[in-house]
Amino acid sequence: MGSWYCEQSNENPLVISTRIRLARNLSDIPFPSRMNEEQRKDLCHRVEKAVSESNSPFSKSLKFIDMKDVPENERFAMVERHVVSHGFVADNRTRALILSDDESISIMVGEEDHLRIQVLLPGLQLEKAYDIAEQLDTLLGDQLHFAFDDRLGFLTECPTNLGTGLRASVMLHLPVMESRGEIAALADSVGKIGFTVRGLYGEGTKAAASLYQISNQITLGISEKNALDNLKIITTQLVEKEQQEQKTLNRLQMEDLCMRAYGVLQNARMMSSEEMMKLLSRIQLGQRMGILNSPVSPIQLLVEGQPYMLMRRFGQMGADERDLYRANMIRDKFGS
Amino acid sequence: MLCEVCGKNHATTHIRSVIDGVVTEKNLCGYCAAKEGYTGFAQNGLADMLASVLGDVLASGSPVAENRCSCCGAKFSDIAQTGKVGCAKCYQTFYNELLPYLKRVHGSTTHSGKIPNRAPLVAQQQEETVDSLRMKLNELVREERFEEAAKVRDKIKKLEEES
Ligand SMILES: [Zn+2]
Ligand SMILES: [Zn+2]
Repeated sequence: MGSWYCEQSNENPLVISTRIRLARNLSDIPFPSRMNEEQRKDLCHRVEKAVSESNSPFSKSLKFIDMKDVPENERFAMVERHVVSHGFVADNRTRALILSDDESISIMVGEEDHLRIQVLLPGLQLEKAYDIAEQLDTLLGDQLHFAFDDRLGFLTECPTNLGTGLRASVMLHLPVMESRGEIAALADSVGKIGFTVRGLYGEGTKAAASLYQISNQITLGISEKNALDNLKIITTQLVEKEQQEQKTLNRLQMEDLCMRAYGVLQNARMMSSEEMMKLLSRIQLGQRMGILNSPVSPIQLLVEGQPYMLMRRFGQMGADERDLYRANMIRDKFGS
Repeated sequence: MLCEVCGKNHATTHIRSVIDGVVTEKNLCGYCAAKEGYTGFAQNGLADMLASVLGDVLASGSPVAENRCSCCGAKFSDIAQTGKVGCAKCYQTFYNELLPYLKRVHGSTTHSGKIPNRAPLVAQQQEETVDSLRMKLNELVREERFEEAAKVRDKIKKLEEES
């Protein structure tokens, strides 16, 4: 299985990825913002031990990474691939990451909670992603004894995560709804039922590449199953709505827009990440509408063209040079 | 820093705006920022709200403010200002104070969902001793009673080696 951005879902082409995150803490160490360095080291050590001793089918594919050993470009490239949060890599205190070979499982140790168990899969796979996260949680919890209160559930540093500690999110490509100015209304209506809308890299209502993440906000008093079911219903409705609106588009206009984007991507000598995201979003839509038949995955290219992803591959460089390397990489892919 | 509008809550939102080349800076609490229409970029909007509503209680001179958590040493005012709870024990210590705000954030105060496995009884007793020793250790370190802390640490090591 490849990373979320390398795999295209044919079943549900609007849903790019599914992410499950569980917040867990140990009961005998203060929460991360009150931990000292020694407690941080102790925490990382205990989690490493628990993973290696858990004797599960997972543990073979999981590797333990001390974040101090990861170069800066790679750290931020991990954020661009959604493997870790920005807050996790921007912090210089002791932290560790437990990562599976395909990067679908990542456990951040020492972020806002002692453990953040994350499962990230391509397409819409809420149940499967939750199952994996839940198994990991049970496995690790049996050894680490996560802080749990009968009334309040799993205890977290921020009370907004209290209860299940579950944050489930799906990333959707919604170019038509966005072009019609419907995202603010969407954010408003899902907000009323305890969900939130964010951009690809956490922006608000005007997201890069029309990629939006929908996730649950409420974690106390609602079971994991209910939260997942609700998210699935919202996702299904959004997919239907976007597809309906897509049908009303003027075909010729869309062909023009898509092929112009294709032309620029094939020929540009310099390309900023903003322009890249805008154009690749059009290619993504064009492919979905059967306008363009190209084996290139726009989402994969979009992630690989992010600043730190480029520098991780081609070395440290300034913004202008990145624009040049980005344009070269894209021309290579589109074969011209 | 206190909020420039209400002067009561902790300022959690820093707003810098440039109008006709003139830079103005404002420090507001989450509540006032929302009232003035600065919304949308509050990444931790809920934490902000929590901090601001908890701040209201403190400003009204609540007597619970000086209680400290016996495990991590956090005061309720620390939690109110940062929106972050100090440790697992804090939830026990400040349960009553936190309850109304949990209700506001989640609309509920009772967990529904996964309940973790309890360890077998023998193992649990063992763990509880290590746990309670760790808590004691935290407390001793905080009070800078390092000699006693070293003894407790040795005990923990020994217990862990035995298991
Ligand atoms: Zn205020
Ligand atoms: Zn505490």
